[in-house]
Amino acid sequence: MAEKDKSCKISEMLESIPQKEVTRRGLLKAGALLGSSAFLMGKVEKAFGLLASAEAATGGDYPLAKAENVIYSVCLQCHTACPIKVKILDGVAVKIDGNPYSAQNMIPNLKQKTSPHVAAKIDAKICPKGQAGVQSLYDPYRIVKVLKRKGPRGSNKWEVISFDQAIDEIVNGGYLFKHIGENRYVPGLKDIYALRDPKLSKAMAKDAKAVAKGKMSVSDFKKKYKNHLDVLIDPNHPDLGPKNNQFVLQFGRIEHGRKELWKRFLAGGFGSVNYYEHTTICEQSHHIAYKEATRQPKGGKWGKPKSEHMKPDALNAEFAIYFGTGFVEANFGPPNMAEKVTEGLQTGRLKVCVVDPRMSKSAAKAWKWLPVKPGTDAALIMGMIRWIIENKRYDERFLSAANKAAAKAAGESSWTNAAHLVKIEKDGPGALLRAKDIGMGGDEFVVVKNGEPVVVGKDAVTGDLDYSGTIKGIRVKTAFRILKDEAFSKSLSEWSEICGIPENDIIDVAREFTAHGKKAAADMYRGAVQHTNGYYNGQAVIALNLLIGSIDHKGGLSKGGGHWHEDGGKLKKPFYLKKLHPNKLHAFGHKLTREKSRYEDSTLFKRDGGYPARRPWFPFTGNVYQEILPSAADGYPYPIKALWIHKGTPALSIPAANEQARILADPNIIPLVFATDIVIGDTTMYADYIFPDTAIWERWGTPHTSPDVLQVSSKFRQPTITPLTEVVEVFGEKQHCSMEAVMFAIAERLKLPGFGKNGFGNGYDLTRPEDWYLKLAANLAWGDKPGQEVPDASRDEIKLFMRARRHMAKTVFDPERWERAAGKENWRKVIYLLNRGGRWEDWKDDFLGSGMQVHRFGKQFNIYAEHVALQRHSLTGKRFSGIAIYEPPKDAAGRVIDDSGYPLQLITYKDILGGQSRTLPTDYWLSSILPENYILINTETAAKLGFKDGDKAKIISASCRDGKWHLPNRGTKGVIGKIKTVEGMRPGVVAVSWHYGHWGYGASDTVIDGKVIKGDPRRATGLCPNAVLRVDPALGNACMTDPIGGSSSFYDTKVKLLKA
Amino acid sequence: MAVNEIVRMYEDLNRALKKPVEKRSWVMVIDVRRCVGDHACAVSCMAENVCPPGTSYRWVFETEYQNYPKLDRFFMPANCQHCDNPPCLKAANRHKRGAITKRPDGIVVFDYEKLSRSSSAMDAAKKACPYYAIVDDRGDYYTENTPKLEPYETRTFFEYDRKLNRKKTKGTIRKCHFCLHRLESGMIPACVSTCIGRAMYFGDLNDPRSLVSELIRKEKTLRLKEAEGTKPRVYYIGFKDRANISISTPATCQVCHQ
Repeated sequence: MAEKDKSCKISEMLESIPQKEVTRRGLLKAGALLGSSAFLMGKVEKAFGLLASAEAATGGDYPLAKAENVIYSVCLQCHTACPIKVKILDGVAVKIDGNPYSAQNMIPNLKQKTSPHVAAKIDAKICPKGQAGVQSLYDPYRIVKVLKRKGPRGSNKWEVISFDQAIDEIVNGGYLFKHIGENRYVPGLKDIYALRDPKLSKAMAKDAKAVAKGKMSVSDFKKKYKNHLDVLIDPNHPDLGPKNNQFVLQFGRIEHGRKELWKRFLAGGFGSVNYYEHTTICEQSHHIAYKEATRQPKGGKWGKPKSEHMKPDALNAEFAIYFGTGFVEANFGPPNMAEKVTEGLQTGRLKVCVVDPRMSKSAAKAWKWLPVKPGTDAALIMGMIRWIIENKRYDERFLSAANKAAAKAAGESSWTNAAHLVKIEKDGPGALLRAKDIGMGGDEFVVVKNGEPVVVGKDAVTGDLDYSGTIKGIRVKTAFRILKDEAFSKSLSEWSEICGIPENDIIDVAREFTAHGKKAAADMYRGAVQHTNGYYNGQAVIALNLLIGSIDHKGGLSKGGGHWHEDGGKLKKPFYLKKLHPNKLHAFGHKLTREKSRYEDSTLFKRDGGYPARRPWFPFTGNVYQEILPSAADGYPYPIKALWIHKGTPALSIPAANEQARILADPNIIPLVFATDIVIGDTTMYADYIFPDTAIWERWGTPHTSPDVLQVSSKFRQPTITPLTEVVEVFGEKQHCSMEAVMFAIAERLKLPGFGKNGFGNGYDLTRPEDWYLKLAANLAWGDKPGQEVPDASRDEIKLFMRARRHMAKTVFDPERWERAAGKENWRKVIYLLNRGGRWEDWKDDFLGSGMQVHRFGKQFNIYAEHVALQRHSLTGKRFSGIAIYEPPKDAAGRVIDDSGYPLQLITYKDILGGQSRTLPTDYWLSSILPENYILINTETAAKLGFKDGDKAKIISASCRDGKWHLPNRGTKGVIGKIKTVEGMRPGVVAVSWHYGHWGYGASDTVIDGKVIKGDPRRATGLCPNAVLRVDPALGNACMTDPIGGSSSFYDTKVKLLKA
Repeated sequence: MAVNEIVRMYEDLNRALKKPVEKRSWVMVIDVRRCVGDHACAVSCMAENVCPPGTSYRWVFETEYQNYPKLDRFFMPANCQHCDNPPCLKAANRHKRGAITKRPDGIVVFDYEKLSRSSSAMDAAKKACPYYAIVDDRGDYYTENTPKLEPYETRTFFEYDRKLNRKKTKGTIRKCHFCLHRLESGMIPACVSTCIGRAMYFGDLNDPRSLVSELIRKEKTLRLKEAEGTKPRVYYIGFKDRANISISTPATCQVCHQ
């Protein structure tokens, strides 16, 4: 059914749908609406309210088929963040479908110019989690008012207080819990906000960096800033930064739009470097592998990475391998990925292989399921690479190209450093050979051609791949040769033994992978990288892709279509936000997690006598979520005073979670903890204050898209109903309590730069959420280049825009205010964009077939990451590897973990019905299908251990011998679940899905103002295994972590099952 | 895949709507090779039709077949088969005349008032249906006994040309109606449009140009329990081709259907 000529019929068909609905509201003239006041809007609401109930008719007049009852927004039940169509009936968001304008939810997507009246009738696909958004939005356990704890942290006893009181207490501090017997002074944010002078912050930042690098002495620094030393955490270590850094934002999920606002608030506004996302408990090492593989050389140094992930172009591929992931569950993400694969399977175009110890729903569709031993993906890949090299099935022409010109000559857009020479030093491969090392020039790389060194300049240069030798007395090997040596360091049978996959299967998959030219690719996600060796597993997957050189080819590895830039940075208009932050502070100092800092470039290196560092440093990665609380507990590199937790749950979601809860519950470690949340969550239960946040469907955002999507896509999240949270007043503006309102209120009290009246410095205020987000919308509407702007909304579309928002209160929607925020000259374009929930490149048939991709990466890939190879492990002092290698699980001190006595290996996974939060089991539609989770185990393994299906078992590990959650001020909770025996599990491995095992989120009783609110037993089902996941023996208070990629180890824990 | 099957089905549907109702013949086609077991269809149905707690007009079964490491994992979606010879109709109408009717376009219609007045008709219908497609509406809510009865449960919804709410459907039996309210507004059924694997198709079998006609013509089809003479309007495809992809065989079906 894939004849090309049929695609053109879409437009014909769209025109055939009658568009007459448009004129039915003749009584409301466009002009009147455009110039509307609050008074008029009130009238409009009334008029429509009446009409709406009168016309909720049937038989061909289905209200949810009408554009006036639709608002496009963006889901966030998982990070795929699908564009959605929210259907409103009587002011209630009742049904969620996929947005048909979105390339992520329909292929081909509706053309941008398609009338919203037509689009209203066409529902695009969306996964069950997205459908159940209605239940996360209208969750009976949502909080709508500000809560202050009325018992110890975690006791789940609260009192309702006013928003203003809460903000005042947080900002001013004091004896905040004296009335419940805690005679402890809590410092307020005003005490932490020490450095307030933008000029001073800039100067100090520069000099503190010089001190860290040893280019300025501490005494010179102290002399220069003798009148300001009180703003520093420790004047003897100015590189720790100002006291401002002791306010930390631990935000779990924060997306673009909100993310930029949050950095504006904390870094430029408050002057703290400590803002974090959750990425290392997700799949950060996979990003870091891509980042280091795509870091571009720049004048003898390494510049910025050019990609953080890529995906197989499953629309055109003939073969795809999924390492520790798939196309049906999790990944990035099912609605966009699944159909491309199933279509390929059905037509016979595509075969897939899924590497996963558990037979996932993706594996159910696979040509080959490889139930690998957890954490040995790199060993499996090394076996494949060995066979591919032995059989010369790699693309020599692609790999030999040493620069852009050579790539071009070879008909490629990207190239690698496979032929570049690496110096072999006494502790292994080190720096890449530069022309200056052999007296042939400057910082250029060098290859060998026919035994002679050739400098890699601008002209096309190709090099020999398999070279090892000595040039001008320097031992060198090509990057390719180093990879080959690693792959050949073990026999195929030895690799097979390590990864637990039969040799024949390794060969079959290697053969298939190299049998489709450029129409093959290998994908990875969480499963392959949430290990202590995660980064190396990631590099191995990338190396596999590089061997066939399918990057930028249709059916190969694709960077995707990308997005237009909401920050205005490309076009520098209409709102170039970076420049619209007057008197911005210059945040500086090592982050609490020591991420993006080298231990060697710190004054602590000298203080502590070099290696080993007291806790690991993470120069390559960021958002090392699991290190935040344990570092605060150790006061390394410094203690913290205030923590804001938002949209994340460290006490539940981080491996070795008991440690996280213990630290969080102790007010002596962090004196002030406040949170923004939509419910009283498992972690926010441990906060001192909880502010209700707006839910996804009530708020704003500009989430970015998956590289799986080939078209340029900019999604725009916007409110679809009046938020359920209480109305508060900030900067004199009535608005709903939300993360943004809390930021604005703190900014108002502390007079943070860049907020309030004229906060943008160009006459525009920043006092309400839309002041920020509609500027992002305006930037998107204009695009990245001149001529990319969307059209102005027509009069009819403007009318529709107003009508579709007739159910919204003025506290959220006020057209005059919105117009002011977006800029008068942008407003009609913004309406056009909001009427579609974003903008997408139109489909063209060029996205299909063979040859090069429409949107290309077109840059260097590093098969050898010099940047990594030259860095030393902060505890062992040993070098990291520049090439993918296989290594077993190790602790922070670099010691191999041996938990003999614990015979099973534990892994976790996500069900398609569940996301990171919300969804299962709290969305009742979803939990009606999957009411609880299980301990999944192979039938035979279970039988050997004396378990049968349905038995209850407790999971224990070497660091959690009692198999219990220890929840301070709440008691304990066994890690106990039902055994489910299946054939689709690797013997010796047990799997427990995420999603279940809650004590918060409505799972237990809550006391508010002395009244008991009963918990819902449906929300307390199942188990969460994070308490038993391995504590790092070298750290004692945190899980194990990948020292390069920063990923927390979810799958390296050995466990035992006990009868329960 | 250059052709957007969703849009094609909308096109088919709108063509059919131009014909009188008796000239339309609605059928559903399910390609089991493309079902990924994600349950989006089931949840979409719950939301669209405000199904009673714990039920959906559409469900997806799954099973394993054979042993580690060479096994199949198989997903099987089903719903009311809108039989042309519906056992539920005959059984129920014996107790309550006109409680269940058959529309000229093929949809089997439940009259909620009539049914709710005759528990014997409801019991007979449930017992007669060989597909377990009928659910009870006991009038309970997901969010009763929680802090708040939520508005998505008490809202108006639309079935069989009727404006309904859960108070009105309490005490009756319910099932898939091929989203008749959507069809008549030019929209394909909710389960079909939301399928992330594109395993489902819907349209007019009387129209040789429709996608469903094309699929039924080209592919080997199977209908559930055809031997019972029910003449179902749901066609399954994809049961034979094991060349490239791990899919079911009738042997797998026997895991559930002895």
